[in-house]
Amino acid sequence: MILEEIKEDYIKELLKQKKRIDGRALDAYREIKITKDFIQNAEGSAIAEVGGTKVLAGVKFDIMTPFADRPDEGVVMFGSEFSPIAHPDFNAGPPDENSIELARVVDRGIRSAESIDVKSLFLEEGKVLGVFVDLYILDHSGNLIDTAGLAAMSALKNTKIPKVEDGKIIRNEFTGKLKLVREVAVTTFEKIDGVIIADANSEEEVASEGRMSLSTSSDGFVCSAQKSGKAGFSKQELMDLIDLSSEKSKELLRHI
Amino acid sequence: MKKVLVPGDEVPGSASNADGVYSENGKHYASTILLESNGRVVPLKGYYVPIRGDYVIGIVTEERFSGYTIDLNSPYEGQISSRDLREELQIGDVVSAKVVSVNEVNEPVLTEVRLFSGGELLEVDAVKIPRVIGKNGSMLQLLKEYTGADVFVGKNGRIYLRNGNLALASLAIMKISREAHSSGLTDRMMEFLTQELRNNGDKK
Amino acid sequence: MALLNKDGSRLDGRGVTDLRPLKITAGVLNRAAGSCLIEWGRNKVLAAVYGPHEVFPKHLTNPRRALINARYIMAPFSSQEEHGRSGPNRRSIEISKVARHVFENVVFTERFPKTMIDVHMEVLQSDGGTRVSAITAASVALADAGIPMRDLVCGVSVGRVDGKLVVDLDKYEDNLGESDVPVVISPRTKELLLFQLDGLLSKKEVSEGLDMIFEAANVIREKQVQALADKFKDVDSGDLQ
Repeated sequence: MILEEIKEDYIKELLKQKKRIDGRALDAYREIKITKDFIQNAEGSAIAEVGGTKVLAGVKFDIMTPFADRPDEGVVMFGSEFSPIAHPDFNAGPPDENSIELARVVDRGIRSAESIDVKSLFLEEGKVLGVFVDLYILDHSGNLIDTAGLAAMSALKNTKIPKVEDGKIIRNEFTGKLKLVREVAVTTFEKIDGVIIADANSEEEVASEGRMSLSTSSDGFVCSAQKSGKAGFSKQELMDLIDLSSEKSKELLRHI
Repeated sequence: MKKVLVPGDEVPGSASNADGVYSENGKHYASTILLESNGRVVPLKGYYVPIRGDYVIGIVTEERFSGYTIDLNSPYEGQISSRDLREELQIGDVVSAKVVSVNEVNEPVLTEVRLFSGGELLEVDAVKIPRVIGKNGSMLQLLKEYTGADVFVGKNGRIYLRNGNLALASLAIMKISREAHSSGLTDRMMEFLTQELRNNGDKK
Repeated sequence: MALLNKDGSRLDGRGVTDLRPLKITAGVLNRAAGSCLIEWGRNKVLAAVYGPHEVFPKHLTNPRRALINARYIMAPFSSQEEHGRSGPNRRSIEISKVARHVFENVVFTERFPKTMIDVHMEVLQSDGGTRVSAITAASVALADAGIPMRDLVCGVSVGRVDGKLVVDLDKYEDNLGESDVPVVISPRTKELLLFQLDGLLSKKEVSEGLDMIFEAANVIREKQVQALADKFKDVDSGDLQ
């Protein structure tokens, strides 16, 4: 962390000339790589890598009681784990606010996009399938949110629906693939000294004063947004970011 | 016309250097609640942050190896070194002192310590202290004259009273604090003190 | 289930840009450095500010600025539905975080190094839009406390209900509507200090929604200013001239 703070001035100096510390364009993502079906015991899984950041998403099904106000819909839940293996500052223990925010931002994007057809997860009165998406941060080199979102979407896209017999899940037998109604990617932008960049690495994140995460769907809707950090954003900046997000989300979704 | 300004409200350029005003891109804005009148502003609420040279009134809260920690009615506590003292202090003692230095995180070192005993300690919002003192000390002079009390005023919003008519003096100071930003205050205080003295005299 | 009447008005009779009845009262608590009660529709949120005081836990102390300790929480009896569990949950932890960022933006934290400023926001009764109500109230409480700030921030939500953009969604519109966008702005700079969005919206709708929010913010700020002027008008009561 100390080294990253020392680099802060250098990062800001470079950004004045519209340059980044790793030579990328302001709106360029690092290299993206997806590894599917990494966890065979899960109904769906994927590792997403954006530059040096690695997030593993696992999808598991369970039989559940539906929520009282939505008796005919399956339940989708997102969790996240900032594993101590991922960064020297991560400690084991209950999720902190960053971990909660990450899971909720990814969750809200996919939920608002209505990606998963929750009605198709209905089994019988009082019984539905629950989908648990767990986001495991394995290596943190910046931009966890987008990497986690990409891992979640990839895992869900390759998820098989388990067979249910006599109200029980038969593990390792499947009835088909989980259909995704709409694909969505979350794209995160950081503001450093008034300059906005996409896909910040960890040094850039330390220097950042404000963050805007926008989830945009492949058909061009804004599905969710989360502004974080001290700096504010003007309306014009937001409008420009919506355009950029649409473009970048298409680019990201090509990898899944 | 008097007007209450809130953070973010623009203030006239004539008040650009006042307390509770900040500047951005050549414009001036309120940072705290201000009262504006004829192009001048005074803060109605604020915190005391120690400044070198201030005389303050503190309460001893902690005894340490080499000195004492002093509560200053401020986010920041003062320190007194034992070397600067002729006598030992007790927790709860009221002292007056001068801020001899303030470090980069606002923490003051105090010197010229005087221990008070007996008397009465009052606390008002630090932004109102200038009115308790009055122009060239006129309000203080008035208070002393009418109540016979010794009045020590700390920049940190604390006032220590000793001797004389303590009840009348504290009543008067609380009235100044309440009406700190109204005009004609000195005249009104003179009227108030005269009236109160006359009433009390009747009772005797 | 229709959420708009045939004439295009909302179920409670409001037009699309109308706010629910809004009442703001400053200085309602004795012990806090500053406080505020906001009653907005059926929402009732109490905000209290303590400090600046010593940082706890101590190791978080920042030698360059004050830390903001923002805490948004819902009382167990606050909802019209079931009894809620006391204490923070995932939602309230996230809201507390983004609320903290709002105050980190406007408070002159650098003037109070090595200290902490507590901003407590207790939702006593909820009816949609609690986070923007809470932050609007907390802003008044901070001003009431005398904490120096760049602006008095305020917030309101906009959302799409039955295909139409409406301002200041109540719980019913929030639950059954198609989207919800709570926003907090600095009226002085028009910057977005809190911006969250859920639901499918086009770029054009986001743009129109923001314009509706800027418009509504004028009304909200007026109420905040009035609340503070009412609290501090006492200082002028002795003015006989």
